[in-house]
Amino acid sequence: MSEPVSRRDLLQQVVRGGVLATLGGGAIFLVQKAHGQVVWQVDAARCINSRLGDTGAEACKLCTTECVVALSAVRAVNEYSKCGRCNICPAYFNITSAVDEKGLPSEKLCPRDAIARKPIGKADPEDPANNFYEYIIDEEKCDGCGKCVMKCKEPLGLGSIVLRIRYNKCVDCNRCAISRACPKDALIQVPVEQALRPAESLHRTE
Amino acid sequence: MASRGGMLIRVRPGLAASLLLLLLLSFAPALQAQGIPYSRPVETAPQADTIGGGYKTPAVQKPLPRDAYLQMLDVLMLTAAMGMSVWLVLKRRSRKWALALTMGSLAYFGFYREGCVCPIGSIQNVAVALTDRTYAIPMVVTATFFLPLLVALFFGRAFCGGVCALGAMQELVLLKPLQVPPRLDRALGLLKYVYLGLAIFLAIKPALGRDFLICRFDPFVGFFRRTGAPHMLLLGGGFLLLGMFVGRPYCRYLCPYGGLLGWCTRLARRGVTITPDKELDCGLCTGACPYGAIDHMRAVRKDCLYCARCYASCPRDGDLAHAKADLVTLP
Repeated sequence: MSEPVSRRDLLQQVVRGGVLATLGGGAIFLVQKAHGQVVWQVDAARCINSRLGDTGAEACKLCTTECVVALSAVRAVNEYSKCGRCNICPAYFNITSAVDEKGLPSEKLCPRDAIARKPIGKADPEDPANNFYEYIIDEEKCDGCGKCVMKCKEPLGLGSIVLRIRYNKCVDCNRCAISRACPKDALIQVPVEQALRPAESLHRTE
Repeated sequence: MASRGGMLIRVRPGLAASLLLLLLLSFAPALQAQGIPYSRPVETAPQADTIGGGYKTPAVQKPLPRDAYLQMLDVLMLTAAMGMSVWLVLKRRSRKWALALTMGSLAYFGFYREGCVCPIGSIQNVAVALTDRTYAIPMVVTATFFLPLLVALFFGRAFCGGVCALGAMQELVLLKPLQVPPRLDRALGLLKYVYLGLAIFLAIKPALGRDFLICRFDPFVGFFRRTGAPHMLLLGGGFLLLGMFVGRPYCRYLCPYGGLLGWCTRLARRGVTITPDKELDCGLCTGACPYGAIDHMRAVRKDCLYCARCYASCPRDGDLAHAKADLVTLP
């Protein structure tokens, strides 16, 4: 057993031990600091399309153009509980277009026709303008261009439509390509438990 | 009467405000011409009881992020694949099986997991997490960064040969390997340390100026995702083209993680050896190594990428040895 250890071997062992200790120490430090899994999400309070105050501007399309996935992983989402269910929805209709015979704007807003609507609740046959409508965004058609988000926010709408990352589309890039392009730094990494919470309750981790 | 009056007073400002709003909106340039004078009919969202007719607010479609246990699976796969790589190359000395493992890893880590997160990119996350007090990384990323280094410290670059999807892409296209002159090889090899330094420098800048260079110029992630920025795909195509004649050019000359693995491998206990007691000194292995990792018929561990081509080329070893009976039967 007492084979003589050469100086070279000894040195190698010592250095290896040192490197092991350094790597181990680094790993332990990082694990102690870790806060679980993080994912990217759009911070609606920063996103220029949903942020209050930025009205009248063209919708920002960077989420559509910058995402590495062909049809962006960012999609418009209608938080139904906040939706006004209006008869004339400024995010569904192009409210500047001519009025048709039914008294509704003749054009839709979405360039990809991704929003559908259906009457809900107790219908009032006397006054169809008073009915409530559910606005459903077709996730497969939406490319996250943000046009409807821009129109849905106050004061025209109630701000129920926001841009959100769809986790069945997102490939979870190490550094989200949209986050690099976003002028408002609205793409943030959040703990996974927060990722699906309503838009206003995100807390950035970095 | 008093309460009625109070009501009137309370109603009026709202009425006036909505009239004003209507007036303003009808003058607003966005809403001019033949469009309807639009004003929002509600102040708050009507809820199920207001809507009536048995309406229930539907849940917003919410596909969940990838489950934590699936992320742990990635770490397990990484560990298992490295273990397999060590065993297949050092023990079995089988090029065939090592190649099969490489293909399996390419399918899983490359095309299924779409190349993210990988140890190469995780250099940046680790650098940021070590320097920025407010930035932390998930345990999976920590494991992804440290495990291959740990393995390299004992067995060499098993990760490069058996697991890395970027390496596997280049392994696949290597048709006619040319030997790069050793001096040029060494000089180009220094590039990866420059790249490493640059990537860390850009990553540890303050959050807004931060840039993950390695990920932005990842040559193959565009292929894994079947879509990507043109510069990425061009870069990847270029590396594949070059990789047909120069063995794994990204790995040898640019991969910053390869640099780190190389340092750890210098201290490795074991690694690929050109077995002295079996060899013929015929030099077939030197010619077979596309990575210039056999110098004077001895393996240079820090450059060895665990492909097992040397064993495959050896008439006394690896796959050929098992088929020896066929080989020596001369007419």
